[in-house]
Amino acid sequence: MTSWLVRRFAASIAIVFAVVTLTFVLIHLAHGTPFLPTGDRPLSPEVIARLRAQFGLDRPLPVQYVKYVAALLRGQLGESFALRRPVSDALADAIPHTVTLAGAGLFVDFLVGLALGVYQAARSRRFADVALGNVSLFFNSMPTFWLGLVLLLVFAQRLHWFPVGGVGDPVLCPTVSSARCLADRLWHLALPALTLGIVGAAGTARFQRAAMLEVVGQDYVRTARAKGLAERRVVLVHALRNALLPVISLLGLALPFLLTGAVLVEWVFAWPGMGRLTVNAILQRDYPVVTATALAASVMVVLGNLAADTLYAVADPRIRIRSDA
Amino acid sequence: MLRGMPTVAPALPPGSERPARGLVTLCLMLLALAGAGCARRGGCTGEYCGTVVFVTTPEPDILLPPSSQLVVSRDIADQIFLKLADLGMSGNTVGDTDFQPQLAERWEWANPLTLVFHLDPRARWQDGRPVTSADVAFTFDIYTDSVINSSARSALRRISAVTTRDSLTVVFRFRTRYPEMFYDAVYHMRVLPSHLMGTVPREQWRSAAFGRAPVGDGPYRFVRWKAGESLELAADSTFFLGRPHIRRLIWRFTPDLQVAVTQIVAGDADAIEVLGTPDNARRARAAPRLVTYPYPGSTYGFLGFNLRANGDTTEPHPLFGDRALRRALAMAVDREALLRSVFGDLAKVPPGPMPPQWWIWDSEIRDLPFDTVQAARQLTRLGWQASGAGGDGIREKDGRQLAFRILVPTTSAIRRQYARLLQQQFRRIGADVQLDEVEFSVFNERMQAGRFDAVLNSVDADPTPSSSISQDWTQAGIGLSNFVRYANPAFDRLAEQASDALQRDAAKRLWRRAFEILNDDAPAIFLFALDNVAAVDRRVQGVVIRPDSHWALVRLWRIPADQLTERDRAER
Repeated sequence: MTSWLVRRFAASIAIVFAVVTLTFVLIHLAHGTPFLPTGDRPLSPEVIARLRAQFGLDRPLPVQYVKYVAALLRGQLGESFALRRPVSDALADAIPHTVTLAGAGLFVDFLVGLALGVYQAARSRRFADVALGNVSLFFNSMPTFWLGLVLLLVFAQRLHWFPVGGVGDPVLCPTVSSARCLADRLWHLALPALTLGIVGAAGTARFQRAAMLEVVGQDYVRTARAKGLAERRVVLVHALRNALLPVISLLGLALPFLLTGAVLVEWVFAWPGMGRLTVNAILQRDYPVVTATALAASVMVVLGNLAADTLYAVADPRIRIRSDA
Repeated sequence: MLRGMPTVAPALPPGSERPARGLVTLCLMLLALAGAGCARRGGCTGEYCGTVVFVTTPEPDILLPPSSQLVVSRDIADQIFLKLADLGMSGNTVGDTDFQPQLAERWEWANPLTLVFHLDPRARWQDGRPVTSADVAFTFDIYTDSVINSSARSALRRISAVTTRDSLTVVFRFRTRYPEMFYDAVYHMRVLPSHLMGTVPREQWRSAAFGRAPVGDGPYRFVRWKAGESLELAADSTFFLGRPHIRRLIWRFTPDLQVAVTQIVAGDADAIEVLGTPDNARRARAAPRLVTYPYPGSTYGFLGFNLRANGDTTEPHPLFGDRALRRALAMAVDREALLRSVFGDLAKVPPGPMPPQWWIWDSEIRDLPFDTVQAARQLTRLGWQASGAGGDGIREKDGRQLAFRILVPTTSAIRRQYARLLQQQFRRIGADVQLDEVEFSVFNERMQAGRFDAVLNSVDADPTPSSSISQDWTQAGIGLSNFVRYANPAFDRLAEQASDALQRDAAKRLWRRAFEILNDDAPAIFLFALDNVAAVDRRVQGVVIRPDSHWALVRLWRIPADQLTERDRAER
């Protein structure tokens, strides 16, 4: 197990390094200038030349890359061209918001998805199963961006049940200083998390339904029924645990989708996370921020997958990890 | 590597259904917390309690006036830093009669080239230090430093020196005499604290830590800036020009304009400076809690023809190098119809390169008419035949089609809409137009390098034509903001004379003649000049919006005590 973990960890570092390299090269090769006019007047060619020299952009790309990697190894991510602050500060502000949103989205995704999947499997081929199957297909096919706008329009603007974007009320709760402000944060989190989670939940439900149907036909489930256990107990206790194992793999796969989905959801809900930071950085050709967000996202995805694989092994003691594999 | 798949699982003990109960408990706890959120708090009462939340799409880059050009940075910095004097509501930039004292309590002209300001002795930095003439001299030094590269640097080129006579007297010396001397001396610079910024190396001003937690001398002091979320200022109750009524100003950052408008309609924000589209204006007007405030805009948009070859500025453009062809294309565009289709009543067709805000706006300025018959006749006369070999209705001349591309930024829905409508209008007279829709950074790069045929551009102009026009449309601006590389010495001469005219009537006549020359040359088709509409919550009284600086007069706004909401009163 330890040797497997070490190898997986080494592979993860290689993946992260490849992502950073690819992002660095692609964003530098993309057309466009990082020093945009920020007001009504463009910067003069002399000023642009000075800024390029100041940030080392006048050097050949391989030299820039070597310098970047050397700085990265020293834990330095550089300074943002557009934000006028260290990239590490910008990331430190954004990552907690994205982790919160992705975590909440994952919670909604699996809570709703598992519940629906189990319910559908228990009522397989009945009206409820067919109806819920179609509804989940509808949500699964829906772009998160559009769903977010609809939820905003209905639940925030029309019904006033939720706030229109943001992570908190800047007037009453600029910081989480009390239980009231924690509740305010959760209230603000509800719609974006639902948007992010519901689309994923529809897919999880279909996956879970199939897994449950496979399991309920197994001998041990028939045995449980033959022992006279209540159907609820048979499904929730005996069948569900085994049907959950394939879903753990889904957990690892869900992270990249949640992070990419978060980009759009963050935009719609004015959520100041990494997605919004990345989009702005790409549009402004803010090379250090683009590369750093790619680094952070790849680390999160790789760690998520590593956690899912480890969890899978832990969850099922019969799974053996071959040290010589 | 993982091997094997599970087939059997042991049964869970009876107590394993507890997670469901845990979930219910968690939900109850959240409900309790939310209930606590509904609890009313006591708080501020009286005349100085209001809170105004502004919603804005961009976030400031830095709150250090010489280092930022963003409008939102300027709007916020205007609450923190003072100028010597500020422009009045008339927008008159000529002479000094329409300016309001700020840091300078009075001023006099020692001679035609020397202006003396006397600082208000009550003025204080928010750390308690007095504002002195040394701060003003330091500020001038910063704004004119090539390393800092303030956008106002070129506007200050005619001021030769700023010196101190005593701690409260500062002297401006000018190189030449011109009508907007006073405007240049006071409008561009927000005075900075030399005792706090004097030791910061100039190379580090671009990202100085002070710019994320500034100490100013204005009506509001900085409280906090939560990146991506909001920025908060608090009223300085000791402000020497009068305590602001609104005690808290909060800027909320929302990247999407539609969402920003939804926030203000839903009551999550109190003010937005520009609604942008007719649909947004309709939504705001329909919201009972909002009052809309129309005001003249500072932006105009145009289709500019590159007078130099696409990608080679040494050669004339094969199509647009021909003045007669440009005129024919200009006459083929029904600008009024385009405007109605895109903006409804939120914009005007400009009679030249000017926003509605400028005092020289004159709808009588001669311009090319919309006349497709004359346009077609002109094209035929130039040899562009409608019955080309292609048989697709596109005009041809010497085997070459009348075809060009328009460069448009994808970030502007308005300009993309315009581009499509123009494409249709040009198609009707036999011109094949394709669109190059590119990201804003690519758009700027190509525009600055001259790599385009035609460009749909918009200009956010200065409050006065003299600086804007020379940068955007005279030979002096080639290589800077004159992207179409228009050059006509007669126009340049008239623009210079207009800028130097000491009387407004004479200046207006000269500007009119200059613009008529420009319109005759048709280096661009001037499509729209925006009339802005702001929306502010009805409980906020005394709202006055100055066109050149939307929130410059916020310190005079107030919320009557009987209209304060819980959010206004809340103490934190």
